[in-house]
Amino acid sequence: MLLKDMIIDLCGLPAPAGFEDKAFARAKELLAPFVDEIKTDALGNLIAVKKCGRRGAKKLMLDAHMDEIGLIVTGVEKGFLRFSSIGGIDPRMLPAREIKVLTEPPLFGIIDTFPPHALSEEDMDKTIDAKKLFIDIGMSDEEAKKRVPLGTPAVFAGGVDELCENVLCGKSLDDRSCVAIIIKTMEALADKELNVDVYCLFSTQEELGTRGAVTGAYGINPDYAVALDVTFASTPDSKRSEVLEMCKGAAIGVGPNMNRNITNALIKTAEDNGIPYQLEIMGGDSGTDGWVIQVCREGVTTGIVSLPIRYMHSPVETMDISDAETIVRLLTEFTQKLGEDGLS
Amino acid sequence: MLDTLKTLCYLSGASGSEDEVRDYILERVLPYSDEIVTDNMGNLIVSKKGKKRCGRKILICAHMDEVGIIITNIDDDGYLRFDFLGGVDRRVVIGKQVYIGKDRIRGVIGIKAYHHVSKEEEKSVPKRDELYIDIGAKSKDEAKELVSLADAGVFEDSVLEFGEGFLKAKAIDDRVGCAAMIKLIESELPCDCTFAFTVQEEVGTRGAKIVSARVNPDVAIVLEGTTAADLPEVPEGKRICSLGEGLVIPFMDKGAIYSRSLYKTVTELADKNGIRWQTKTMIAGGTDASAVQRSGNGVDTIAISAPMRNIHSPACVAKISDFEEMPRLAALLLEALAE
Repeated sequence: MLLKDMIIDLCGLPAPAGFEDKAFARAKELLAPFVDEIKTDALGNLIAVKKCGRRGAKKLMLDAHMDEIGLIVTGVEKGFLRFSSIGGIDPRMLPAREIKVLTEPPLFGIIDTFPPHALSEEDMDKTIDAKKLFIDIGMSDEEAKKRVPLGTPAVFAGGVDELCENVLCGKSLDDRSCVAIIIKTMEALADKELNVDVYCLFSTQEELGTRGAVTGAYGINPDYAVALDVTFASTPDSKRSEVLEMCKGAAIGVGPNMNRNITNALIKTAEDNGIPYQLEIMGGDSGTDGWVIQVCREGVTTGIVSLPIRYMHSPVETMDISDAETIVRLLTEFTQKLGEDGLS
Repeated sequence: MLDTLKTLCYLSGASGSEDEVRDYILERVLPYSDEIVTDNMGNLIVSKKGKKRCGRKILICAHMDEVGIIITNIDDDGYLRFDFLGGVDRRVVIGKQVYIGKDRIRGVIGIKAYHHVSKEEEKSVPKRDELYIDIGAKSKDEAKELVSLADAGVFEDSVLEFGEGFLKAKAIDDRVGCAAMIKLIESELPCDCTFAFTVQEEVGTRGAKIVSARVNPDVAIVLEGTTAADLPEVPEGKRICSLGEGLVIPFMDKGAIYSRSLYKTVTELADKNGIRWQTKTMIAGGTDASAVQRSGNGVDTIAISAPMRNIHSPACVAKISDFEEMPRLAALLLEALAE
């Protein structure tokens, strides 16, 4: 499967933090041909390993999170669903938003907006408080209560498709695009002689504070880790100093959250192989699984590689496939270069 | 009527660019019409003879146009700047998809990542001139190959039935009126009648004004979509009307005080024939009636509307049972007028 198609496939699945089973099942299916073993843990992480065949081999872990932001139903009033958010959602994104309510089978819903008829010009400039919004599923109170138990999660409706050639747009590119990148990397490594065991961690609940990665990394106990996540690509309304660029290649993280030796090795790999890259300088918390992985157990040598996307945490996240391809190449080359002693 | 409405909602017809809608309607009504005129603004005016001639000239109208956007600038990075066509609430456009121009170029109205939004910024909706559309173009030149200035755009167009008999689509306002008129034209009418599928209602009932001058009617029936605010957080007095309570027959809105006698006739007909109806409980909104009523020597005017939530948004919601009776009620009124 092409990387592009795999991203479209995985991002189309509904898997808000805490409810990742659908992403888990599909990622498992896609990854299985390229690894020796796949298992899970109590937090629902997907943990896979491809052994190199040497005893006492070092362990490299590639990490990306499976979960996406979403909503969760906290009440039913007059047939409308009251909700809270799962993860960080801009409330300005919600009015007139189409929603998939994850009952079995799922229900279509719309977050109704307040018509402006009773509002002043000034009120129209104000964000509608998310606490006042409801999901409209077009049902009577009785039917809604029967069909939608409290605690039912929901996600933005729709998936990902091509905005124009090679530009993908839709929900949950954060971070399932990186799940696809890891699967494609494992495919590229399938028939390669390696000096290290390669673990994949597709973590859960990242959007609620990198929760899955805590136990996932603990269980794997790797020597090295590369956490893959999305990062900010420039948009007209963002500060140039705060963002990277789309179409300029893999973003290699630099800063305290990333061990210098692995960061340098990633940069050198990119340089040696002519792989486009850009540096992402982060002063503190990278906001990725890498933050907890680095301090797991007695410490894990951690690097962070990111895919620049626009409009993060929206239903129209936008990426360029060329950037994802550079990351697959970078990881593939980097992994092959690791010697018996790991980074040396 | 539902199938016709669904098809109509898919079509692009932002104010001033109603061609696609008009072409479709023309094809549908051609076999059933006695005379068809497209005027210089693009209004489609269809005359059809009925069982008898009515002493008074009757005009039925619904507007073809929908709210949308118009491209005003293409910036150096290939992003598009735009203005709204009609009254679009900025609060509903963020993170939405649009289709631009005849080639239906897809774009999204972006906003920076939530991580970079301050607590203060989050409280206000970006101004129109701060909004932009991303079509995935990497430069101005690339964007210019796909889109031209003044191209009109419409919101994402998926049409969906959901819940217990609800419909979600853009532009139900006022394709619902167009669909009802197509159904009427396809049926045998009690009296002669002129139908106008109007343009540019959303930018100020511009099309209806010249239609009315041409047709010079005595009586006008406007078929429309109207705002419902029947939501849990909206107080009783501000809900205007509710889905599931039937057609809306207004006595007054921001644009017109409707004919008292027609209001009485229509509501009585609805009652007598078991058609659910409600009126607007707040003076809000407006229709082509504002233009038609005040044309020539004045026109007796009434509106029959379908209630909908999220009007003027990419996701209007209407209840099918509410609007399905629209053609029947209009036909009953024609019968009464023919007497």
